[in-house]
Amino acid sequence: MKTFVSLLKASLNVHFGISSLKYRFTKEKKRLWEPIVVLLAIVVGGGSILAMYSFLLLAVFMAGQSLGHPEIVITLAFVASQLIILIFGIFYIISAFYFSNDMSILIPLPIKPGEVLGVKFITILLSEYLVALPMLLPAFIIYGAGSWQGILYWLKGAFLILLAPILPLVIAALIVVLLMRFINIRKGKDVMVIIGSLLALMVGLGINFFSLNLPQGTEEEFIMQMIESNTGLIEAIGNKFPPSIWATLALTYRGWQGWAYFLLFVGLSFLLLFLLYWIGNRFFYKGYLTGQEIRRKDTAISTREMQRHITRTSSPILALLQREWKLFMRTPIYVMNGLAGMIMVPIFMFMPLVTNSEELTEVLEYARNPEYSLIVILISLGIMLFTSGINVVSCTSISREGATFWISKVIPTPPKDQVLAKLIHSSILSLLGLIIVAIPLYIVVAIPLLHLTILIILGFLATGLINVLGLMVDLLRPKLSWNDPQEAIKQNLNAFFSLLIVLLVIAIMAVLSIILIAAKVGEFWIYGILALIIIVLLVPSMYGLFALANLRYRSIEI
Amino acid sequence: MIEIKNLSKSYNKGAVRAVEDLNLHVKPGEIFGFLGPNGAGKTTTIKMMVGLLIPDKGTISIAGYDNSKNPLEAKQNIGYVPDNPDVYDRLTGMEYLNLMADVYKVSVEERQERINYFLDMFNLTDAVGDLIKSYSHGMKHKMVLTGALLHNPAVWILDEPMVGLDPKSSHLLKEYMREHCERGNTVFFSTHILEVAERLCDRIAIINKGRLIAIGSMDELRHGDQAGSLENIFLELTEQ
Repeated sequence: MKTFVSLLKASLNVHFGISSLKYRFTKEKKRLWEPIVVLLAIVVGGGSILAMYSFLLLAVFMAGQSLGHPEIVITLAFVASQLIILIFGIFYIISAFYFSNDMSILIPLPIKPGEVLGVKFITILLSEYLVALPMLLPAFIIYGAGSWQGILYWLKGAFLILLAPILPLVIAALIVVLLMRFINIRKGKDVMVIIGSLLALMVGLGINFFSLNLPQGTEEEFIMQMIESNTGLIEAIGNKFPPSIWATLALTYRGWQGWAYFLLFVGLSFLLLFLLYWIGNRFFYKGYLTGQEIRRKDTAISTREMQRHITRTSSPILALLQREWKLFMRTPIYVMNGLAGMIMVPIFMFMPLVTNSEELTEVLEYARNPEYSLIVILISLGIMLFTSGINVVSCTSISREGATFWISKVIPTPPKDQVLAKLIHSSILSLLGLIIVAIPLYIVVAIPLLHLTILIILGFLATGLINVLGLMVDLLRPKLSWNDPQEAIKQNLNAFFSLLIVLLVIAIMAVLSIILIAAKVGEFWIYGILALIIIVLLVPSMYGLFALANLRYRSIEI
Repeated sequence: MIEIKNLSKSYNKGAVRAVEDLNLHVKPGEIFGFLGPNGAGKTTTIKMMVGLLIPDKGTISIAGYDNSKNPLEAKQNIGYVPDNPDVYDRLTGMEYLNLMADVYKVSVEERQERINYFLDMFNLTDAVGDLIKSYSHGMKHKMVLTGALLHNPAVWILDEPMVGLDPKSSHLLKEYMREHCERGNTVFFSTHILEVAERLCDRIAIINKGRLIAIGSMDELRHGDQAGSLENIFLELTEQ
């Protein structure tokens, strides 16, 4: 037990970066202001999302109450949170159990495999609370306060909420550990990432599809009908995964029935935990070690092919651009994060347009009317900027180099040229994003080619500005120390700062457009002025970027 | 070829002094060994020489170029290999070498000649088409060495170059170091393998707790005591 506790302490320390934070603040004394900014961002960003979510739950609760099923709000929260934890849990578990770098240190230690697995499981579990608590607590409080529950409800509920992530996560872990015993997943790590992302994409599309089939009417009617039509859905999921329903029943049934469901939920959680420990002891290391057995292919290239490679020379900028491109495209997690968003957003946005509802046909007619082309173009520009702006390519392009950044520091290529290669790389991908949005705009909204061209030019200039600013953010605070490439983009706050930049640029353009429209400036003049203003912002930003690169390529120590 | 003057570097806002007032002069044609216990400041010094760290004080000149005033010219003259070869895992060996050749502006003829030479010397020809992530530690090290030497730099700066190399590669590298210096160039390397330093180096510097405690040829370090091995000298000096 003692070893287990100390191992757990160490694991939590590494996972949440406690010692490294302490070191940074007490010894290095670097970027002391950062936690305040981060906290502020979380309070503002997270708080507003939480408030919106709570309002939705409140509406669900009230609608449920008038239908005689106020508990639907709890079921909804449990089903949703457990489903999310189950799906994402599988990937967290695969990565923590089988792809983390500490396994080579842990395996030789005289500790039972089940204990190592337990430590890793608890570490993931604790981070899952960050997802589960904000999802469950509001529902729990709304139902409890709304239906005047007694002290027992609050006690039982608190316990159930703490147990809630265990079940789906244990199930995810059991699936993974058993699968790993028989499948050599390591070979296909990249394939896994792709499958995972596609799954997430499908879940996203599914949710979008369901929400499209919503009935129409006033807001209240809307939620009421949504609940009526979706109760079936929630119950269907609940039937497939009964523990979600048990939690609701444990909380809402009074007397022995409630306690029976409570015990069922708690009992199953602990039983499965024990099962995981037992299976872990038997299968965990075996599965891990089989996965380790990979060998190099030794694909010797012929002398002629080698000569062909050698004789192909490029300028340093072009060579670095090729490096950026290859490293990005060959790392699935980058491709998925950089490109999936760009593909998803347009699909979400244009899916309503292909469904045949009357209102939407009206919207479409409105959009196709040449009278409104200016508005349509400007809104489309906003969509384009958002879509290609949310790719995290530029704001992580230094971070992605990670431990290999030493190469960029020692090569005799001016930092200006190095960031230029990165800027070109991110601009190509942004352009791709613009085109992805432009195609449905052309097909569905039938924007004339001239306008489309203007749109793409404006978009290209504005995403250029976004990319320049994103690169500056990354130069100022690159995250170079990571073990897994996903940390470079997913656990990188720069992505958040970059999103703020995107929103800022969109806001500037929107305000400008409104002013120009109000001043009755002609359509093409507006495009011209917008373009001019972006260029006026872009040119000094680029010089700023180059100057910053010169400074930071020298001062970032590695 | 390498001129280090009054070099100092500290970490954690001055709390840890890694290098203090270091002065070194390495001449053309010299193989220079840089020794010291763990944490003595060897890697910190080397990282400052190649531009990975910024000195708090002092200057470093490489092949006549001050590395803070003319960093690009200095870098063009350096071939640097770190002790831990972190390199682009998702490029093939060939792609990596070509990238290095491109950024160091190596002509087609030269790259043809040198890539073939090093791949042959390090026995990497069969692996060059594979992604680097499939390489062993030693193979990565050899790949980084090859990439660093492609542009035929006048000054080699190698941090623990023998670690991870198999005996044959290590032997060939040592021979190549000697040839390189005979052409009037310079090799500066850190090592813990005292026998290598003793046999290979024209001069040796020993650094301890950030300070230079001895410098000179083997004879000079022995102070005429011919029986003293480098190991004895090293232990005696670093335990004081």
